Amino acid sequence: MHYQTESWGSYMVTRSSYSDPLERIERMASESAVVIFSVSTCCMCHAIKRLFCGMGVNPTVYELDEDPRGGKDLERALMRLMGTSNAVPVVFIGGKLVGTMDRVMASHINGSLVPLLKQAGALWL
Amino acid sequence: MAFISATCPDSSFFLEYKDENGLLRKSCMAASHRVVGDTGLSDSGPSSSNHHVPYATVLHGINAPSTSFLRNQEGSTFDFGELEEAIARQVRNEEAQAPLFTGRPAATLEMFPSWPMRYHQTPRVGSSKSAGGESTDSGSQVNTTTLTSKGDQTQVEPESPISKLASSSNHHHHQHQALDQNHLQFQQQLQQDMAISDTTRATTVATGAAEASKGQSAPKPNHEKRKGAGSTSENRQLDAKTLRRLAQNREAARKSRLRKKAYVQQLESSRIKLTQLEQDLQRARAQGLLMGGCGGGFGNISSAAAIFDMEYARWLEDDHRHMSELRTGLQAHLSDNDLRIVVDGYISHYDEIFQLKGVAAKSDVFHLITGLWASQAERCFLWMGGFRPSDLIKMLTQQLDPITEQQVMGICSLQHSSQQAEEALTQGLDQLHQSLIDTIAGGPVIDGMQQMAVALGKLTNLDGFVRQADNLRQQTLHQLRRILTVRQAARCFLVIGEYYGRLRALSSLWASRPRESMMSDDNSCQTTTDLQMVHQPSQNHFSSF
Repeated sequence: MHYQTESWGSYMVTRSSYSDPLERIERMASESAVVIFSVSTCCMCHAIKRLFCGMGVNPTVYELDEDPRGGKDLERALMRLMGTSNAVPVVFIGGKLVGTMDRVMASHINGSLVPLLKQAGALWL
Repeated sequence: MAFISATCPDSSFFLEYKDENGLLRKSCMAASHRVVGDTGLSDSGPSSSNHHVPYATVLHGINAPSTSFLRNQEGSTFDFGELEEAIARQVRNEEAQAPLFTGRPAATLEMFPSWPMRYHQTPRVGSSKSAGGESTDSGSQVNTTTLTSKGDQTQVEPESPISKLASSSNHHHHQHQALDQNHLQFQQQLQQDMAISDTTRATTVATGAAEASKGQSAPKPNHEKRKGAGSTSENRQLDAKTLRRLAQNREAARKSRLRKKAYVQQLESSRIKLTQLEQDLQRARAQGLLMGGCGGGFGNISSAAAIFDMEYARWLEDDHRHMSELRTGLQAHLSDNDLRIVVDGYISHYDEIFQLKGVAAKSDVFHLITGLWASQAERCFLWMGGFRPSDLIKMLTQQLDPITEQQVMGICSLQHSSQQAEEALTQGLDQLHQSLIDTIAGGPVIDGMQQMAVALGKLTNLDGFVRQADNLRQQTLHQLRRILTVRQAARCFLVIGEYYGRLRALSSLWASRPRESMMSDDNSCQTTTDLQMVHQPSQNHFSSF
């Protein structure tokens, strides 16, 4: 695996109180070129991770089930954001929301994903 | 004393005799049953005198007891003329006939073939047996029953002609009834003589003798009545039995007709119901009602799967239509605008099937993944419930000419990205498979139902993968449309349609391939066994080392 998982612990120490989940998501998304919100047991998340790794991208993955305190809130917030029953996987590239597997696939096929990645600095070719 | 001279021409014979008044009387007996001629025998009942008949030459065919009986009666006072005539007639008949008493007692009796062959008269055996020992009282009825009992023991056939004879004589020869009665009685006696057992014969001969005497001594109307009663009672007995059987047959036939009618009605109503159901289904489909959440597993094929199969079949027909449109459009060199309409129509045609598959995946994903809706060849190379987009592009790149540099690049990148996406989805599915194995195969079964619930939860992710795969296919087709010009796209889609059509045709050809290929398979099996046999000695050879 060529992606790094952030540890939640550092975030909890620096923050005094919980922010609005959406704000947290936004903040987390903007900190890396490629951010994937995932669940460790989700197979589709595994697929999307494999897709990015196969392209040579090194995404930042947040496993929501591994956050003991705020994971559920984030999941619910993502569900509301996407409007689907599945909260994960959700991909942010360059701080901007790309979407779930559907959108990522479509953008990859129509050739818009690679320029986006290059623009965000995730790909160098 | 008058005498009777009997002569025996070919098939007819006649008796000449002189009665008491010296009148020459003649009785003719032809093959047809004319008892007597018109020579004045009508009132030759009790009034006729005794006739002495030399029977030595003619009675050889009759068994001894009856002969002795007849001879004994020669000196009796009762009128024996008709009796003798009947005997003579009978004898003539039997002489004319080669087999004697073998079941066909008289030529006269063979005239009535209308009676059924297998006509058993078992009920009368009992009654006849009971009457067997009686002497005189029951009259001709006794004779009839004993006769019929004899018939049971020997052959069924002879009785009916006798009764028929009796009835016909009843109907046709009222003036010769006494003679007929005697004739009947003698025939009955001869029937008895035919019988197997001697004891019964003796009994019946005795009864017959007693009956004959009784019948002769009684006045004529009594004879008629008794004989008529006897014959009609016999007829009535026969008729009653026949009538009962016929009634039973009629009843059975009526019942079977009713049952058949009921069955046909049931079939008709089921057929009507079936057509109504089909119409309802058609209407529901037209309105777009799909049974989404009913869950699979109803018997061998779920309702969602069945519906999808039907819709896929309809889609194939539409595909054929679109293909012919594309073909004619290309050949007719339509304008780009017109061709674009056709091409876009084909794209939306594919969108339609992807949408249908998405709906079907929600209720029966296994049906889509296992590919039972597809032809065999398609099913063999199926990837996640459909075609593999990179394979399609690989096939197309050889067919698309002319093509610009930019288009080549576009196609190449399309192929590359679709390959990557396919790989990602495949790995995701492998991950699901592995996690399913871990759930249901690993460890001790501590909490079986919990395990199953978790496994079920994992299985629900399957339709997501099929949905993503279809999404990939749809996006690939759309991208192709974007890269290529209208004309190129038309050609491209024609190639795709033809390719899958040929694949389907290959499947059907494979399914219906001739038997000879099977025989060649047998030959190949033989060669493989030969190889095995060759191989084994070398194994033994090696084992020695």
